[in-house]
Amino acid sequence: MNLQHTGEEKVPARLDTVWAFVTDPEKVGGCFPDVVSVAVKDATHFDAVVKVGVGPVRGKFNMRVELLPGASKRRLDMKISGGGFGSAVDMTAGADLVDAGDGTTLLKWSGQAEARGPIAAVGGRVLDAQAQKLIARAFSNVRQQLTG
Amino acid sequence: MTIEAKPLHAVGVAMKRKEDPRFIQGKGNYVDDLSFPGMLYLSLVRSTYPHAEIKNIDISEAMKVPGVKAVITGKDLEAAGLGWLPTFHGFDKQMVLAIGKVLFQYQEVAAVFAETRAAAVDGAEAVQVDYAPLPVVADPFTSKTDKVLLRPDRESKTNHIFHWEVGDRDGTARAMAASAKRVKQRLWFQRCHPAPLEPCGCVAYFDTMGRLQFHVTSQAPHVYRTALSLVTGIPEDKIHVMSPDLGGGFGNKVPVYPGYVCAIVGALKIGRPVKWIETRTENLTSTGFARDYHMDVEIGATADGKVTALHVATTADHGAFDAAADPSKYPAGIFGIVTGSYSFPIAHAEVDAYFTNKAPGGIAYRCSFRVTEASYAIERGMDILADELGMDAVELRRKNFIRKDQFPYPSALGFTYDSGDYHKTLDVALEKIGYTALLKEQAEKRARGELMGIGFSTFTEVVGAGPSKHFDILGIKMFDSAEIRIHPTGAGIVRTGAKSQGQGHETTWAQVVAEELGLDPQNIMVEEGDTDTAPYGLGTYASRSTPVAGAAIVMAARRIRERARKIAAHLLEVGEADVEWIDYKFQVKGVPSKTVTMKQVAFAAYTNMAQNEPGLEATYYYDPPNMTYPNGAYVAVVDVDRDTGETKVRRFVAVDDCGVVINPMIVEGQVHGGLTEGFAMAFIQEIQYDAEGNNLNTNFTDYLVPTSFETPHWETGNTVTPSPHHPMGAKGVGESPNVGSPAAFVNAVIDALSPLGVRHIDMPLTRDKVWRAIRDAEAKTAKAR
Repeated sequence: MNLQHTGEEKVPARLDTVWAFVTDPEKVGGCFPDVVSVAVKDATHFDAVVKVGVGPVRGKFNMRVELLPGASKRRLDMKISGGGFGSAVDMTAGADLVDAGDGTTLLKWSGQAEARGPIAAVGGRVLDAQAQKLIARAFSNVRQQLTG
Repeated sequence: MTIEAKPLHAVGVAMKRKEDPRFIQGKGNYVDDLSFPGMLYLSLVRSTYPHAEIKNIDISEAMKVPGVKAVITGKDLEAAGLGWLPTFHGFDKQMVLAIGKVLFQYQEVAAVFAETRAAAVDGAEAVQVDYAPLPVVADPFTSKTDKVLLRPDRESKTNHIFHWEVGDRDGTARAMAASAKRVKQRLWFQRCHPAPLEPCGCVAYFDTMGRLQFHVTSQAPHVYRTALSLVTGIPEDKIHVMSPDLGGGFGNKVPVYPGYVCAIVGALKIGRPVKWIETRTENLTSTGFARDYHMDVEIGATADGKVTALHVATTADHGAFDAAADPSKYPAGIFGIVTGSYSFPIAHAEVDAYFTNKAPGGIAYRCSFRVTEASYAIERGMDILADELGMDAVELRRKNFIRKDQFPYPSALGFTYDSGDYHKTLDVALEKIGYTALLKEQAEKRARGELMGIGFSTFTEVVGAGPSKHFDILGIKMFDSAEIRIHPTGAGIVRTGAKSQGQGHETTWAQVVAEELGLDPQNIMVEEGDTDTAPYGLGTYASRSTPVAGAAIVMAARRIRERARKIAAHLLEVGEADVEWIDYKFQVKGVPSKTVTMKQVAFAAYTNMAQNEPGLEATYYYDPPNMTYPNGAYVAVVDVDRDTGETKVRRFVAVDDCGVVINPMIVEGQVHGGLTEGFAMAFIQEIQYDAEGNNLNTNFTDYLVPTSFETPHWETGNTVTPSPHHPMGAKGVGESPNVGSPAAFVNAVIDALSPLGVRHIDMPLTRDKVWRAIRDAEAKTAKAR
């Protein structure tokens, strides 16, 4: 089942600060909702274990994450794949960083996910809303980390 | 010694089930109850992708999980020559564990063996599989285009599995063209699952003699033994298959599944017993589904409603492997019964089957190989014809029924129906439901805009596969067998090649033996499922127990009676020709005072047999001369809520004619169970896949099994038209209600909606589907105004 989501966060920090944050695996990994652990492999790769619960399906997902920073330092893409308890997701998430000019930065993000297995089977009912919430929370965590 | 004579009439008696005391006390003996010292547990890694290339399988992390003893993959099995498993249908093979690619979601990819069930599951979780997704084919119509070839392993490079046809194609086309009235409708019998409450499972180990001891949830233990020997190369004498109590089967426990092969390989490799028990999700997503037939039904008729021709063209979705478990010569099962209870002068039926990225199966879910699909097609078709002709559905059926005097009736598609009295069975059902009063009520309600429907299904089944000249599985002819031993005290044991999954064989077979031999059914023990002791038989499915194994029991009992006659002659001091079997005992011809009972004869067989062979036992292998043709008339009354689409089955009358009834209580129980399954298919159940090939009904919250809360009240009745060729006149009943009822439910709902102009809705008739149909029909009417 394919899911598509978009959203926007206004981060009270300058663009290069935001850029440094979101391209740092250690930091961005910690912004994943319900993250249990982050293991950084190199500058653009890390593994994360996150708790997932959709309807009656609950457990831990092992995610492999690859960061794909754009040369312009204005665009970051992320490839996330992984799964657990017989389910799997492949996600791509991307954010455009826009200098709002007042010392703040706009994070215009979009994400799409493909879910398979039991987690997709409960999809029609709750998965869509849940995925939207999770992605939105990840970017709002970025904002919170950079606030104050 | 005095042996008291008591009335021993056993057939036709509603004897309480001998097996029930252990079941209702929770003391049944199921595979998962078995435990052996050192037993390991098997958990299977399953594909999350419906179609993908396997780039790599990394088992290193799994091997680190505490308790994990071994992990095997498709490559390991392939190297051992066990990579593929022949399907029972005989024309395809199935991967045991995925080799190179996966073809459906939840396909078996690797097997993990561990000290505990939890460690096995943790180990399976730790196996890392890298997949490269491939395009998904989620329906047979996409498959048909061959744009994506699913099975490059096969010689023919197409997704088309087979074309099968029966009847007169050109003649049917001509008769159809000449018909004054023609109706045509596509009907989809959706993908369902038998969903036995006990999932599939096994325990395998090699004993100290190197003999495979295999405890398994099988409806056909002997076929398993032969198939396992052929697949693994283990000599058949070194395989002992035991099927203990089964918590339902319904066709799901006929095929041999990859989990079984993995358990045996693990037991051999590690040298310890291995248990494999499916989870609910594994059962629903990977082991034998049922139906998934898209049927284009066309009926021709005269203007006054006499049927002239029938054509049915079916597109079948068989999933990733052709594992339909049909008899060799019948790739589409016994779908040719599609002319039903009606006198069609000419007909043609064809089925084209395709591979898709879905679980394999197409098994006979409580039906005699595609008979449920066929019955649904003709019974829905007849209702659509009645509607188009403006005729009463009952009148149309009556007009076209095969008459009582036409039996044995040769059908246009090659069957010889053995017996029936369709008019009478229908009359009994109409009387029971009060049809005239219901029609009046319906007319009044329609005038008020209320939606009430009356639906019929007057089906004919074909069961008891089958005559050896037509039926075999993997080449083994579909006879069945019985062995009876009568002990000195007149107690006895009967063993058959059938295998009860809840049908009550322990009671029914005892009654049959008691009836034939004048013994007490309480002291006839029934044993099934152990290939070391039971005579070879093809097992229980396709309603074949009573027609085939039951007939073998009768014939074996009659052999015993012939042997007993010799001993009776000795006891009565007359010649054998002067002894006759009257009123459950032996009597000197014409001298009612000179008798001996079977109990007396049994004692003499061990103590005073004179020159006769000692002991009293017999075996019979029964090759049925024909199939049996149970039939029934079912009537459903359904109220539909116009605003919510909610349906309520207010009444349901099922009148079955299954020939001679052995135990009316068990027959009634079978009918109740089958109707409940028919109700579930008609209103609730569907195994759905999304366009990406995800199975969306993976557990009992998404695939509902009706409880007493949802299930309507059933009213049953019967007529008795004995089968002329079965030694007791019995026909079999276990599957009739599952076969006959879906059409009655759907016909009732469509009848309710017919004033709105709704012609058909595919099952399951869920609230939202019915509501949408009402809304669309009302919108259409409003627009027309």
